[in-house]
Amino acid sequence: MTLLLLVAVPLVFGALCLVLPTSPLRMAALVAGAWAHLAVVIRSWPAAEAPANYELVGLDPLGHLFLTLISVLFAATAVYFVGYHRKRLISQRVFQACTLALLSALTALCISQHLGLLWVALESASLAATPLIYFRLGPRALEATWKFLLMNSVGVALALLGIFSVAIATTRHDGVIVLTVADLVRHATRLDPSWLRVGFLLGLVGFGTKMGLAPLHSWKPDAYGEAPPPVAALMAGGVTLGAFAGILRLFQVCSAAGLGAFAGSWLIAFGLLSLATSAVFVVGSVDYRRLLAYTSVEHMGVLVVGVGLGGAGSYAGMLHAMHNMLNKGALFFLAGFLWRLHESNRIRDVRGTLRRSPPAGILLLAALCATCGLPPFGMFFSELGIVLAAAQAGRWWVLGLFVLTLAVVFVGVMTAALPMVFGDPPDAAAVRPEQAPLRPWRRVTMLSAAAVLVALGLGLGACQPPAVREALLRAADSVNRPQAASVAAASVTKVQP
Amino acid sequence: MSAQTATDGVLVLVILLNLGMLAVSRLATGVRLFALQSLLLALLPLAEGASETGTPGVHAILIAGGTLGLKVVLIPSVLLRIIRTGEIHREVEPFLGFAASVFAGALLVIGSFALAARLPLPTPPLSKLIVPVALSTLLLGLLTLVSRLKAITQVLGFLVLENGVFIMGLLLLKQTPLLVELGILLDLFVGVFLMAIVVYHIRREFDHMDTHLLDALKES
Repeated sequence: MTLLLLVAVPLVFGALCLVLPTSPLRMAALVAGAWAHLAVVIRSWPAAEAPANYELVGLDPLGHLFLTLISVLFAATAVYFVGYHRKRLISQRVFQACTLALLSALTALCISQHLGLLWVALESASLAATPLIYFRLGPRALEATWKFLLMNSVGVALALLGIFSVAIATTRHDGVIVLTVADLVRHATRLDPSWLRVGFLLGLVGFGTKMGLAPLHSWKPDAYGEAPPPVAALMAGGVTLGAFAGILRLFQVCSAAGLGAFAGSWLIAFGLLSLATSAVFVVGSVDYRRLLAYTSVEHMGVLVVGVGLGGAGSYAGMLHAMHNMLNKGALFFLAGFLWRLHESNRIRDVRGTLRRSPPAGILLLAALCATCGLPPFGMFFSELGIVLAAAQAGRWWVLGLFVLTLAVVFVGVMTAALPMVFGDPPDAAAVRPEQAPLRPWRRVTMLSAAAVLVALGLGLGACQPPAVREALLRAADSVNRPQAASVAAASVTKVQP
Repeated sequence: MSAQTATDGVLVLVILLNLGMLAVSRLATGVRLFALQSLLLALLPLAEGASETGTPGVHAILIAGGTLGLKVVLIPSVLLRIIRTGEIHREVEPFLGFAASVFAGALLVIGSFALAARLPLPTPPLSKLIVPVALSTLLLGLLTLVSRLKAITQVLGFLVLENGVFIMGLLLLKQTPLLVELGILLDLFVGVFLMAIVVYHIRREFDHMDTHLLDALKES
């Protein structure tokens, strides 16, 4: 019942958005839909027991955690939309309906236990996201949309082939193995190892395209740079988590089948490549939204490296997934605010935010520090956790590359973005006269949505309520490679203050 | 004629059609070849079903019907309509010439047969050709996607790639729930529909369907 509600609530409100006559009513429906979804998600905690082997949908620890993160992000974004909204060429109805359809598809993704169903949900999510990217119309948005649509379609087609390969791996066993995660894990030793490997690699490439892992990230800066910033927030914090869930499901099956080391080293390879790529492109970036997109590539890399290392790394990966959602949400909200102030994506056009709008400046500085992994923000602890996990596993090359690339990204982001925060604001003459001043209530709405996420990132970094910690630990346990489970729990307590 | 020889014959034809699609320059011909390929593929689930029980089951009939309606009728007619209303009917100056792309395509086919030989299936399939043909269809679709300029041809490349995945799915008719298969078909339809809309917008925005002008977004 809860599961049905979770998928249906956003769809019903999305349909309402299509039919309601006036703009304020539609906006209310969007906010109500997102918050009703959050309410249902919160009521579903604590989860019942794990889903049975043959159930197509169910709430397992991993899916439940991701579902909650996505729901929080959508609730914040819905509020932000109220402040951000302005008349644009594409129909507002379609835009809001697609936003809620995206939430519904991501929900279906998080609760689906069957790999085929997971694929259908992920593909639906990327289809629902396409009109959102095209929101601004014009040639640049068109180019971003085309690249997103084509690359993601090819990516998910490869992921489907990967899932088919896993299905072929099950035919070695005489009895029937259903393609649900639980059943696959239960029969893991009876799967054909070579087809399982093929399946994992194809799935990693396919879902990795959707997640934006290098070298399949090339759509990401375009899409995040051209989509409206709140949409970029949804994609960087929400859709990427969905794709990550797909990779993790396959990883769970692989580690149960004794291929954990094989799958883990591919995850680490893709992760380090993503980190290195983002380090190369962050330095000397001239467009702040593309800069943020590259930090998203970086954080995706951190996520998969963490899970690939296993042990304490799995917990750090889950922690990082949570803080990535909070941080990317806040950063893209602030980018939207800056865009409304300056009508420009270029870093050199945005100067002296601290003097022009002190709250925005402080929030931007805090969010930038958080994204670079400075203490006391949560990402510091998750990245430290991954460093410790690498040291524990004795993988010094991974550790060295990881720290080096994080340092380069830190320098790149700070040199590009500090003048945006400090510096002198452009003189009044330079401000283009045609732009309408932003109404105060819009400013307050936009900034408070960002402030809540920044505060959550700070608060959850400093101290974790037991419930959050429990949820993270259970999710980490479910993706952990079996042999290192006890070590993980022991070392995690040291990382956390 | 047994179901197995029929399947083998169909799969060989599918590869030939793939290579044919690489060789033609008229966009409309390419779309028609794709429709023909999909028609052949729609028959395969029936043969697969018939080989086991004598008559194809409801599941196989639904899949065949869905493929027939979607990939043979609906999608090609949408694409043909776009081509007819557009000005340009031919692929001009692709990155890779027509002869060169057929040659590269042939190499990819050989490569897929070599790869498939190294990946034995756990249970003997209806036809040994299924895996290599699926792989080569997939790779040739990818080749079309990256080597051609027209947005329509890129959509066609994606559809051929999807056909490759479909052939692989033939091995798994029993394992996949009907719900999932119908979801896959629905997603494919909506995806192509969206692509058609974007192609239409590209043409309106740039007055043609070349994607090489879509290069404003890059690191400067």
